[in-house]
Amino acid sequence: MESLKSKTSGIITFSDYKKTSYKIGYGIMIVILVLFVILTVFPPIWLFLASFKSAKELYQIPFTLFPDRFDFGKVINIWDTLNFAKYYLNSFVVIIGAVVCSVVFNGLLAYAISILKPKGHRIVFGLVLGSLMIPPILSMGPLFNNIVQLGLINSYLPLMVVFGANPFYFILFKTYFDGLPESLIEAAQLDGCTKLQIFYKIILPVSKPIVMVVSIFTVNAAWSDFLLPYLVLLNDAKQTVMVKIFMLQSNMGTSMNFGPDTLLVVLSLSIIPPVIFFFIFQKQITSSVATTGIKE
Amino acid sequence: MERKIVQPKLQNKIVLFDKKELGAWLIMLPSILLFLFFIWIPLLSNISLSFYDTIGYTKHSFVGLEKYREVLADPIFLKALVNTAKYTFWSVIIGFAIPIILALLLSEVIHLKGFFRTALYFPNIVPGLAAVIMWKFLMDPDPSGVLNSILNSGSISPLPWLNSQALVIPLIVLTMTWKGAGATTLIYLAVLQSIDNTYYEVARLEGASVWQRIRFLTLPYLLPTIRMLFILQIISVAKVFYEPLVMTGGGPNYASISLLQLIYHYIFKMGDVSKAAALGVIVAIILFTLTAIYLRISKKSS
Repeated sequence: MESLKSKTSGIITFSDYKKTSYKIGYGIMIVILVLFVILTVFPPIWLFLASFKSAKELYQIPFTLFPDRFDFGKVINIWDTLNFAKYYLNSFVVIIGAVVCSVVFNGLLAYAISILKPKGHRIVFGLVLGSLMIPPILSMGPLFNNIVQLGLINSYLPLMVVFGANPFYFILFKTYFDGLPESLIEAAQLDGCTKLQIFYKIILPVSKPIVMVVSIFTVNAAWSDFLLPYLVLLNDAKQTVMVKIFMLQSNMGTSMNFGPDTLLVVLSLSIIPPVIFFFIFQKQITSSVATTGIKE
Repeated sequence: MERKIVQPKLQNKIVLFDKKELGAWLIMLPSILLFLFFIWIPLLSNISLSFYDTIGYTKHSFVGLEKYREVLADPIFLKALVNTAKYTFWSVIIGFAIPIILALLLSEVIHLKGFFRTALYFPNIVPGLAAVIMWKFLMDPDPSGVLNSILNSGSISPLPWLNSQALVIPLIVLTMTWKGAGATTLIYLAVLQSIDNTYYEVARLEGASVWQRIRFLTLPYLLPTIRMLFILQIISVAKVFYEPLVMTGGGPNYASISLLQLIYHYIFKMGDVSKAAALGVIVAIILFTLTAIYLRISKKSS
């Protein structure tokens, strides 16, 4: 354990902590943080533990945190009955497409507006910034209708390319490209690279950090996305994890095949991949949230 | 003499310029089409649909502002409008100070720093849909529900939770805060860590108390961020949609329905596309106004 003597910066330092009252204050700060941590981690822990409970056990009084036994058979049974591997796979397919679209289309647009600056690029920039304040649900009806008219029902295409029109990701790319040295691009032009070649041979390789940030945000957003996928993916064989959850939760109680215990298992299954993903990319995620101010 | 030399060069430049323009526009074209398809064309269709009676998505007859009148006369619209104000109010009461306090604590504590930061950020990793369904379970009004069981162990009688018209909005806001506060905390923490430590040293040498240091050093330094995140929070709360959709369906008795949710309700429950379009235009105007206020204030503070 570190000693308070090593606290040399910030509002309160080691010289304050010589007083007992400050030491007590420090203890109180720790206690408050611990209480908040209980609030943030208790619900998911309950969820994981409750996933092992039977429907009957869930409604049992008195309440117990731990299940009577860790019934992996139940979990595997639900996985098999729902054929859940299929939904995982569908989600992964959508995520890969979403990341590619997100990097290519927002990246290219930012490249054109930040570096190429053709006549009229300001109008495009204005349109993109303006779309920041329009939540997609606002005009969900006409959008959905256009998707139907184009015959894209049950297609992953709209769910992937929608991430290519994201003003947040565009701004991240543009801010980064704005900071690139001009000499870099001039050198490439002298070498006789075409504009597209400059983008993928020069710009993308030196922009790895921001490509990483946008990709991480896109993975999380595409995994969590459910409204458009729910409207578009009518065929069960095509549905993603979140669509399945949304449908299970809205039909709960109307079908005899599944109850709340099934939904709990499925919820746990939907949380596990992003948790694993988070622990792999923890550093990048926490630092990019802090610096970009984008939360999801 | 000079003219003759300059002119061919100039022509050459113009030709090059045009080619450069075309290439750049071709590079932008696919992305522009996507923005048009997903955002601008639906918005324009919405405006146009809002002046018509429709059958499905086909315009039937021009009705002028009739659909707007219908929306404004709809008692559910009034509820949704008031509810949105309530969401905003409660999100300021419940959600606004918590990230600031947590960031201050995180920046001051030296024990288990990494653990605290990760644990407080953890809810942000949980997908939104999963988070709201999980909280719906926790807030089960049945005496066997998790929160009711905890109340019961303190001999408090069970609460109706989301079934209560008075509690429903604060509880949904609580869920949203649970999900989002960790990320906001990280933003504040980054600002706190950028404060030059010599300020604090000088303040300490001059005998400023801890409260004075916070009041006259830390808070003024945080203020621009606080102001910006405050307005961004209000704008994002005006967009609340899936939380009440999933947790309550807008109930009980429309006590938690939001404006965007009402658009969804008009289209997919009532099949009235043009009424939804009119409401969409109204909400767009509200969001536009809020954003304009935000831009004005953020310009002032910078």
